[in-house]
Amino acid sequence: MGMKDYIIKRSVFALIAIIAVFIFNFILPRLMPGNPIMFVMGGTKLMPETREMLIKRFGLDKSVWEQFVAYTWRALHGDLGISFSKYPRPVTELISKRMPWTIALLLPAVVIASGLGIFVGVLAAWKRGGKFDLTVTNVGLFIWSLPFFWLALVMLLVFAYYYPIFPLRGAVTRGIEYANVFDFFKDWLWHSTLPILSLTIWNYAGYTLMMRNTMVDVLHEEYIVTATAKGLSDRTIMFKHAARNAMLPVVTQITLSLGFTLSGSIFTETVFSYPGVGLLTYDAVIMRDYPLAQGLFLITAIAVIIANLLADVIYARLDPRVRY
Amino acid sequence: MKKVKAQLWIKNLKNFWSLYKTTKKGVIGLIIASIFVIIALLSPWIVPYDPYEWNVVQPFAPPSSTNILGGDDVGRDIFSQLIYGARTSLFVGFVAAVSTTLLGVFIGTVAGYFKSLDSILMTFTDIVLVLPSIPIMLVLAIYLGPSIWNIIMVITITNWTGVARIVRSQILSLKERAYVDSARAIGAGNVHIITKHILPNTIPIILASTILRIVNAILAEAGLSFLGLGDPTAISWGMVLHYAQSCGGFSRGAWWWIIPPGLLIGLVAVSFTLIGYSLEAVFSPQLRRS
Repeated sequence: MGMKDYIIKRSVFALIAIIAVFIFNFILPRLMPGNPIMFVMGGTKLMPETREMLIKRFGLDKSVWEQFVAYTWRALHGDLGISFSKYPRPVTELISKRMPWTIALLLPAVVIASGLGIFVGVLAAWKRGGKFDLTVTNVGLFIWSLPFFWLALVMLLVFAYYYPIFPLRGAVTRGIEYANVFDFFKDWLWHSTLPILSLTIWNYAGYTLMMRNTMVDVLHEEYIVTATAKGLSDRTIMFKHAARNAMLPVVTQITLSLGFTLSGSIFTETVFSYPGVGLLTYDAVIMRDYPLAQGLFLITAIAVIIANLLADVIYARLDPRVRY
Repeated sequence: MKKVKAQLWIKNLKNFWSLYKTTKKGVIGLIIASIFVIIALLSPWIVPYDPYEWNVVQPFAPPSSTNILGGDDVGRDIFSQLIYGARTSLFVGFVAAVSTTLLGVFIGTVAGYFKSLDSILMTFTDIVLVLPSIPIMLVLAIYLGPSIWNIIMVITITNWTGVARIVRSQILSLKERAYVDSARAIGAGNVHIITKHILPNTIPIILASTILRIVNAILAEAGLSFLGLGDPTAISWGMVLHYAQSCGGFSRGAWWWIIPPGLLIGLVAVSFTLIGYSLEAVFSPQLRRS
């Protein structure tokens, strides 16, 4: 099977996965006991006429198949329904407004965490079994085992309550007029340092363990022995020969773990009351805002599926050893 | 015959233990985990106060000699809540790990053994694997409503894929062995072959993965409870953190309410992770050598 077939195969899988997400989202409210209208629209006490109108409007009197087609069609056109905790604002609008805030948290956190994680992982693997390696793996394992939100809670408690260096909540100071963009950025950074830091620490733990283990495998390869026999310096072998080869699968893994990173942002934003997609998810959960929660799930799932597809394809392109 | 079998079991167990006790991490993990299990089992009898009772201590009271971890917003004793919470957290951890494993073993076995179902089941597995688990859990949980059993169900639905893949790959290789062919030649049926000749060989690897599932389940329960999807009638470590966050633990700087539950979750998770890794090392000769 050639490269092209492989890409087609992965794309077909991604498509099937996306269709599965649509089906899941469509079926879920209809599987639940009680009236689907309650879940789809959330109206607790509706006038009979309104009820009739809503049934017509959402096509609940049509066959399930027709409903599914209509649902998918609307979703593909950006209509994910109306939020009912923030009625009557459309779900799509709510999500897209919050998206930039979340990206602003995740991007720096992932970049710093992967840089640091890869570097420390390389050093740990190089002296595997040594003191440094043991410290790095044990600390990494412990951080990884902690409930993620707890790390954020402790940071908030220490650096915003006991030593109030950073604010307790929010992404920017409320009701403030900024003189220029730079002022705005400074205010945002002040608010975002703790959330970014906690996301970074948690992701770092995972990345560094991944890099360390991959690097240990690579160091057993024969080309490393060859490089040593050639008399190359440790530095050259470590970074030019070993780390480069170990990095590819790790960077792929990092892309594949987008789902975890997004989940991390739900907890971080909740703890720091940071108004991104994560906090929106928390609000949807607390308010039992079914359309909003489902819309968020749909978008998250599709983003993760596409990230997976890209990671697979790019990895296959870059690594000639990959057999399809 | 029975006696021989029993002797073999004892011999194997002794063998296993002599290998396991050489892993320092595994022994440490086992000790810590056992302490937590004992506390969880005895919790109703060893709590100093009723963890549900209000006003046994001043609201937001800091730690004192009578209430070593102080009180929460309605004056419940936090130390008692944590002891009691071990019960819920470990219960969810164990039950969810077992149900996850059962579902994974079932799907993995069917996929590995019956060629015609393999590709469809594995595509399904891959889809569930690719989807972000926390968002699925959240969506499912808000529809199902908050209860311990719903949390267990949600964890099971999202976590079985790893087990299914491991079991499938084991079965793909096991079913080609000569002894399976001989069993088939003397007329053994599929169910007999699977349950008597194939699955017993996968038990070690399944056991190690089940232990690691416990960690996942405990962390997932804590996460769901923290986000307000926990069972309001049960006290778990995640619920304690949820109340600390939503009922003013921060505005009072109540570190005694926020720090201990997370440390306990982390400690339990580490101990089971250590056990799981050590089991993997003991059961797989390749890992043992290195």
